[in-house]
Amino acid sequence: METVLLIVIPSVPLLVALLLTAFGKRAARAAQWIAGLGALTTLGATFALLPALHSGETPSIVLPWIPAANIQLRLHVDWLTLPFLVTEAAVTLAATVYSWGYHHADERSGYFYALLLLFGVGMSGTTLADDLFLFYVFWELMLIASCLLILVWGDGERRGAIALKYFIFTHIGSLMVLVGLLVLYDAVGSDSLAALRAESWALAPGLATTVLTLFFVGFCVKMAIFPLHLWLPDAHTVAPMPVTIMLAAAMLSMGTYGILRFPFSLFSRAQLEPFGVYLMLAGLVSEIYGALMAMAEQDVKRIIAYSSVSQMGYILFGLGTLNRVGIEGATLHVIYHAIVKALLFMVTGLVIRATGRRNLKALGGLGGAMPLTTVCAAIGALSILGMPPLGVFNSEWMIFSGGFETAHIVLSVLTLFGSLLTVVYALRFAGTIFLGERPSELTVESTPWVMRAATLLLAGLLIIEGLFPATLFDWAARGLPLLLKGALQ
Amino acid sequence: MSGDLWLVLPLAWLLAGAFALGLIGRLWQVRNATLASLTAIICLGGLGLLWPSLIQTHTALHTATPLLTWGDAAPGGLLLRASPAALILTGLSLSLGVCIAVYSGRYMERDARYVTYYPLLLLMLTGLIGMLLTADLFNLYLFCELMSVPGYVLVAFRRHTDTAVEAGFKYLVLGSVATLTMLLGITLIYRGTGQLTLPLPTAVRAPWGRAGIACLLVGLGLKSGIVPLHTWLPDAYGRAPSSISAMLAGVISKSTLVLLIRLCLSLGVPARDLGLLLIGLSFLNMTLGNAMALGQRNTKRLLAYSSIAQAGYMMFALGVGLRYALPAALEAGFFLLLAHALLKGMAFLSKGACHFYTDATLIDQLRGTWTQLPLVAVTFGLALAGLAGIPPLAGFAAKWFILAAGLPARDGLVYAGVAIFLLNSLLALGYYLPLIVRLFSPPTQATARRALSGWMAAPLLVLSVLTLFVSLQPGICLTCARWLTHLEMW
Repeated sequence: METVLLIVIPSVPLLVALLLTAFGKRAARAAQWIAGLGALTTLGATFALLPALHSGETPSIVLPWIPAANIQLRLHVDWLTLPFLVTEAAVTLAATVYSWGYHHADERSGYFYALLLLFGVGMSGTTLADDLFLFYVFWELMLIASCLLILVWGDGERRGAIALKYFIFTHIGSLMVLVGLLVLYDAVGSDSLAALRAESWALAPGLATTVLTLFFVGFCVKMAIFPLHLWLPDAHTVAPMPVTIMLAAAMLSMGTYGILRFPFSLFSRAQLEPFGVYLMLAGLVSEIYGALMAMAEQDVKRIIAYSSVSQMGYILFGLGTLNRVGIEGATLHVIYHAIVKALLFMVTGLVIRATGRRNLKALGGLGGAMPLTTVCAAIGALSILGMPPLGVFNSEWMIFSGGFETAHIVLSVLTLFGSLLTVVYALRFAGTIFLGERPSELTVESTPWVMRAATLLLAGLLIIEGLFPATLFDWAARGLPLLLKGALQ
Repeated sequence: MSGDLWLVLPLAWLLAGAFALGLIGRLWQVRNATLASLTAIICLGGLGLLWPSLIQTHTALHTATPLLTWGDAAPGGLLLRASPAALILTGLSLSLGVCIAVYSGRYMERDARYVTYYPLLLLMLTGLIGMLLTADLFNLYLFCELMSVPGYVLVAFRRHTDTAVEAGFKYLVLGSVATLTMLLGITLIYRGTGQLTLPLPTAVRAPWGRAGIACLLVGLGLKSGIVPLHTWLPDAYGRAPSSISAMLAGVISKSTLVLLIRLCLSLGVPARDLGLLLIGLSFLNMTLGNAMALGQRNTKRLLAYSSIAQAGYMMFALGVGLRYALPAALEAGFFLLLAHALLKGMAFLSKGACHFYTDATLIDQLRGTWTQLPLVAVTFGLALAGLAGIPPLAGFAAKWFILAAGLPARDGLVYAGVAIFLLNSLLALGYYLPLIVRLFSPPTQATARRALSGWMAAPLLVLSVLTLFVSLQPGICLTCARWLTHLEMW
């Protein structure tokens, strides 16, 4: 049963995407419903894996693939995978549903939804892959799918150049990861991650440091940590809104997953210790830089884009603490950030759709005209600035307390105070758009109900997850024994 | 003349087909499509006739029985031997030949002299296959000329353009020098050993033997576009009809590379030294090919330089395999060779279709291909992404195999090579990606959608399905690559 579910998670959306591509124009009208069904199946299958995980199993599957090169097709799910898997599946579903309203159906709609699903397959495949080769294939699939979405459906004349920049930037990071994977492959003589976890293998100390550096830098490109974030603001701004939601809410955290899956699960605490302080430092810098840029931006979409740079900084800081609380907080933050970031982008999309403007200076006083959106924006803004009892407070609390458990108190204090900047940009965002005087020439058009419903759903989810976080804490905590060779127990 | 007739039949069939087509074209008014179909049938027939030899060789490989031979080894005779590497490459070139023949059914329609095109194409294929199958040096030279002379004509086929004539002439001059150098090399080896039949492991120690081998290296190196003997290549690939560029880039230059390696090994050159030479030259090929491709504005010249770079990747893998005795690296190199034949063939054919319908030669003119010729945009994009080594396409599998196979050598040279390889594959993105972006960009002026002819669509579809198959299931291609690693079998 579990093996079937494991196959279902990536292959159903893959099949749906292939069908949509094959039928092309003929499926354009029905594409949105079919795609929604595909995304829903994935989410359902992900939750259906929970009982097995709770009973202590780790469902996995091995199929022969390229026997000549000793490469198998291995999928595997454990507690480290699950939070990420759920996040991706949920975000893909949310983005698909949001597209029903956002995307104007035309004869190419089938391809749009197919690529959206492929993007999702790339992410779920990356998390499920238990094989170095397969991991990299899926890792790049998400880049290709998102890049094509930006290239064909993005806004503005410069989308070609921006898609190119996004591709090359992230591909450089991927190549670093690739070298790391190849060294691991060479060390254990097999491409199976299970073998890497189980068998004893060793790298020369110098080589281990090099590989770890490559992994950290490579995954930080995906996480958009300063100064490797340069691709992010442009890509997020130009991408169509559902793609932006998937990029910001789910794909950025793939970098976190990579760090947890490779450096953190395969190397010992002693090997990772020298990197801890640098990770914390990079996280801190990224947090403050992202927040400052978000404060300075006028484009509403770019504000939220830079806020991602800042939020990924928290996560990296939490990982860098190398202790139980910090890493658990980082994992939790991935989930909360996904919800809040999707919510904020959805709000931004509603505002842009209703007014046709994206400059903060030209917006204002929308509170009366868009009451529902205003409430959602308020929940999102308050949440991201870390106000209890909303979601993000929990994870930020844990990240900070993880920081204070380390010897680097100064960094932790700075991170804590740096989070004040979030307050500034979040309130500026929500306040300027929805409060104050409404410019006289600003007209508000009605927005599709699907978009509003999806937004409202996420806002509700954020409150629920903030008030009853026990399940999420449980998920994040169960993955911890798999890390740092069990040193977190 | 004795031996297994099955071995000589494909060659004879192709040769007879070439003459028959020439005669038909001369005697009757034939439509281009008819000739193209006949050529495709002849190539398919060649493939069919090759089948018994393939089966025989398969059993020979597993039971260690001697390989099929035909002919006699006495001076003046013709000796053919069904070595596994030669058979695989023969099969590959005939298969690509079928695709190209079908494609030409529409592509050559506007050329007035299409009647001469098909016999020349078949003669070129005959020469190539003869070169691969023959087991003596003199006939190697003869077949090499049989391959090259139609090649010169085909490159300059569109003689109403000055550039094509110029490219053909350049290819003719350099190619003739190369074949003459080969002849000199063969003479020197014959003088030293008194023998022409391969394998000839004493050649390297014979007086003048090394000089002879060096001459052969230069001659075949030029044909396979090894830097610094590559100067004819961008012009020839850039100016020839796209179908011919596909043949030259996909099969001919890469087959001569394999032949070069096999010949050196059979003449007694130590694998270690040959490997070192290949690794050294591969760095030049990769770097120069990619660097020059970055600056190109003409699409076909860009593809030509990318061929030089891809040859560099192959040479690196093969060099590592030979120098450090790593069969996996050899396999990886040959896997790339097979994948490259598919991908580059597809790229050139797609480019030809763009040119046929929209007169696009420059990269910038490819804008709007997606709206005008959606299928071509997809196949072209697929080919380029595959060449760039983007997963899950075959180019990436090749990259992974090469890197994974090279690392166990544990040698500084290999580590340096891996670094250069990766930097180059990054550099290559700089020209593949803008090309893909242009394919999918909106057109500069409003243009209508064109109906793609079935003659062109069919080979493009077949090639893209094959590419996807090889990408998702590289195992079968890897098995073919394993046949190619039996380089020492003559």
